[in-house]
Amino acid sequence: MISIGIIANPASGKDIRRLVSHATVIDNNEKINIVERIILGAQALGVGRVYMMPDSFNMGYRVEEKLNTCDELRCEINVIDMYRYDGIEDTLAAAEQMEKLNVGCIVVLGGDGTNRAVAKVVKNTPLISISTGTNNAYPVMMEGTIAGMAAAATANGSFDESFYIERDKRIEIYKNGVLEDIALIDAVISKETFVGSKAIWDMDSIDKIFVSRCHPASIGFSAIVGSRKIILPKDDYGACVDINNNNSKVFAAVAAGVVAPVSVSEPIILNLDDEYKYTTSFRGTIALDGEREIQFSEKQEFVFKVTRHGPRRINVKRALETAQNNGFFKTKNDSLI
Amino acid sequence: MNITNEQIKNMYETMLKIRKFESRAKDLFAEGKIPGFVHLYIGEEAVATGACANLNNDDYITSTHRGHGHIIAKGGNLDNMMAELFGKETGYCKGKGGSMHIADATKGILGANGIVGAGHNIAVGAGLAAQYKKTGQVCVCFFGDASTNQSTFHEALNLASVWKLPVVFVCENNGYGISVSQERHQAITDVSVRATAYNIPGITVDGNDVFAVYEAVGEAVARARKGQGPTLIECKTYRHRGHFEGDMTVYRTKEELEAWLKKDPIPRIEKYILENNIMTEEEIKEENAKVENMVKEAEKFADESNVPTLESALEDVYTDIVEEGRVR
Amino acid sequence: MKKMTYAEGIREGMSQRMRENSDVLLFGEDVGKFGGCFGVSAGMWEEFGDMRVRDTPISEGVIIGAAVGSAACGLRPIAELMFVDFLTVGMDQLVNQAAKMRYMFGGKIALPMVVRLPAGGGISAAAQHSQSLESWVTHVPGLKVVYPSNAQDAYGLMLTAIDDDNPVVFLENKVLYSVKSEVEDKVEPIPFGKASVTKEGTDVTIITYGRQVLDSLKAAEALAKDGINAEIVDLRSLFPLDKETIFKSLEKTHKVVLVNEEAKRGAFTGEIASIIAEEYFYELDAPIKRVGALNTPVPFALNLENYVLPNNQDIVAAVKSLF
Repeated sequence: MISIGIIANPASGKDIRRLVSHATVIDNNEKINIVERIILGAQALGVGRVYMMPDSFNMGYRVEEKLNTCDELRCEINVIDMYRYDGIEDTLAAAEQMEKLNVGCIVVLGGDGTNRAVAKVVKNTPLISISTGTNNAYPVMMEGTIAGMAAAATANGSFDESFYIERDKRIEIYKNGVLEDIALIDAVISKETFVGSKAIWDMDSIDKIFVSRCHPASIGFSAIVGSRKIILPKDDYGACVDINNNNSKVFAAVAAGVVAPVSVSEPIILNLDDEYKYTTSFRGTIALDGEREIQFSEKQEFVFKVTRHGPRRINVKRALETAQNNGFFKTKNDSLI
Repeated sequence: MNITNEQIKNMYETMLKIRKFESRAKDLFAEGKIPGFVHLYIGEEAVATGACANLNNDDYITSTHRGHGHIIAKGGNLDNMMAELFGKETGYCKGKGGSMHIADATKGILGANGIVGAGHNIAVGAGLAAQYKKTGQVCVCFFGDASTNQSTFHEALNLASVWKLPVVFVCENNGYGISVSQERHQAITDVSVRATAYNIPGITVDGNDVFAVYEAVGEAVARARKGQGPTLIECKTYRHRGHFEGDMTVYRTKEELEAWLKKDPIPRIEKYILENNIMTEEEIKEENAKVENMVKEAEKFADESNVPTLESALEDVYTDIVEEGRVR
Repeated sequence: MKKMTYAEGIREGMSQRMRENSDVLLFGEDVGKFGGCFGVSAGMWEEFGDMRVRDTPISEGVIIGAAVGSAACGLRPIAELMFVDFLTVGMDQLVNQAAKMRYMFGGKIALPMVVRLPAGGGISAAAQHSQSLESWVTHVPGLKVVYPSNAQDAYGLMLTAIDDDNPVVFLENKVLYSVKSEVEDKVEPIPFGKASVTKEGTDVTIITYGRQVLDSLKAAEALAKDGINAEIVDLRSLFPLDKETIFKSLEKTHKVVLVNEEAKRGAFTGEIASIIAEEYFYELDAPIKRVGALNTPVPFALNLENYVLPNNQDIVAAVKSLF
């Protein structure tokens, strides 16, 4: 049976960026609506089973109930049976489980943080990342129905994936030779001394930014580097810049609704697998994809490395183009039309 | 957001004071020395501590039935608090309020409150006074997840938003309204989404991370002082004890409690302090001993204080009228 | 002396204190430009502006609650509910917060606040807009309760209410709002707990307040024709209660009729009756009589409302039953 996975993070979209910037608010009922549309799009094109991550808002069961109530559910919804921590652990466990279950793809609803967690554990299963979090760098806003259709086309497994699936880069952060964590888009060295409410909104606190890609049309730290140089997902390199080092300033969309001048050095290109050593000279934190995650004290050594070990990302538009080229949308019985 | 080592030490001390005061209150209640009801704050220390670390002495707070933590964090005196729990004349309320009604106007503490949801409206009044007098004060209103089902929550957020009052609404979402879990008492998991209905920012933070609370409330306080109006901050947390002492917590699982004990805010700040060389193991031990001694002193003070005179029952109903007593 | 309506008396009392003390402010439903549902605050918004005469949402809980909080933090708020009937919605804030905070906090806080509550029937407003509920509030330790019957008292009692450091429930009668009466050129605050003897008499004491003072005066005229000289005591302040004036009058008349507009069951007149029975029983030459509304909600139709509410004829009948 053709199956897909859906990971919808109930916690995304409510962090401090609603207070310190003008970030989007998406409540869990809207996430349920999006999940419904994904499932309706997917089941119409042959998906028979949908695995879902269990969550505190019971999104899986609510979707099942709502679709059954209007008699529209044609596939099986299977909420994964696992212990729930109501934290990022759930995303990690569910993603791992879904890959074991050989789902055709995983649709992720969340922000950069959610996608980063999925990317940490998923090796080969391709992802469709829908932004329901803070105005994000990695996932993109898209219509759930279309995402569901693309998921079905991918899970169907009969098209040449090289047309529409790319493996993304990631930034690997090593401490004492051990992989400490990863970032999909950007890693930031900040003078904020604690993880706290995670986001970073004080540009003065930033020391250095590493990016796997950057573009002025993104939001956050990659936009800062993107204001100097554009690095695309396909480019086999990333970059790093110094911030607040008396360099000339550029305007960048550092947060939702916040376009601020930031002092940025010329980007240093980091080719794939180049090691960039960084020794801390103050107490601070490393933010991954916009969220403070790693707390460090003085004189600690980190290595930053851009690699091509990121998740396999589905280009939804191209997936549907490929599907169309292969006659995927033709109904089985033409006489019905 | 900047934070000094001194501030971190102060936060740690405040959290210890709450933990140790409450732990002792638990024992004293079991021993029968504290009558009535006690609702303990154990497990939620990071919320009150992180929030109040942003406040000046003349800023206001409103509190709840689970109020000891808020009062300690706002600078309440342990001696007078313990004496109040004992029902002694040296207590904060001269023995007339008890655990659920401790207040200290000189520190802006507008009282713990026995009515769930009553503090929201009082906080609006405090915010109104600050705005009207242009003092720059703010009011932090503490309340639980279940109180957001009371009309007062909605009336208060609405009016505070319409009038742009300097009030920071801090929800301690501990997952339960007495014995009823959040999923059984409201059809949302994040109280912060209710802010949208009142056109104010609403955010959710880890309520067991004192820094996360400190930072979020700090931003909200700054916003309030600038005249930009109220904010709703939801702090996800957990009470280690039952609703009140004597509650057997039949409504929750051991696994759930254990998962939350792993997120206990006090070991978390201790880990941070040690990792960043803010204090040594030895200094942490000393700090613990010092706070334990403060609680012991408070207990001694309470123990040795007199019970209130019977006549005092007739006073303080009004500022200017003493009620009639009875002869026995 | 000048003539003033009861509503003007209340307004002048508020306005005078607002001119003298910037800590005083008024808020409630439609009290601003609209001037209040009964026009009591007409012109005040123009004089004092948006910050001091504030329209609130229709949220009785937070109207009273904001008064509690702001009074605790140094203001002297006047909160208006549109009808006393709506007190049910804000009752917790009045009863559990305003009335008890000072006591619970060991006297460490004062709540100088006034809650204005338009009360009473007689305007075909039916059961949810016509009640008299003074027994609810007089029952609660921690509240002071006043109920003026004329413009002068409304003015003077309002001054005292604002000056008082305790929560004061200021009951206003809707029928009386437009009634004019004499007001002194300079009105002094009227101390709480001082009843006034509206009419002196020797044969029977009618103890009343609010609108029933006027009914009692009419009744006294009728009774005079039958040779009964009634004394009318207008309590003005229900708590604190002026027992001295009540007892002094009883020593003269030895007969008493208690009149108010509440549904008779559980009415505040019962409290006065019991005080008299407990403390002054031997001064009485006849049973205590009470006149109140019938024990029904207040009906809408004119004839029904008239039937249910007490009037001067009921007072006459009650008095006559004692002779």
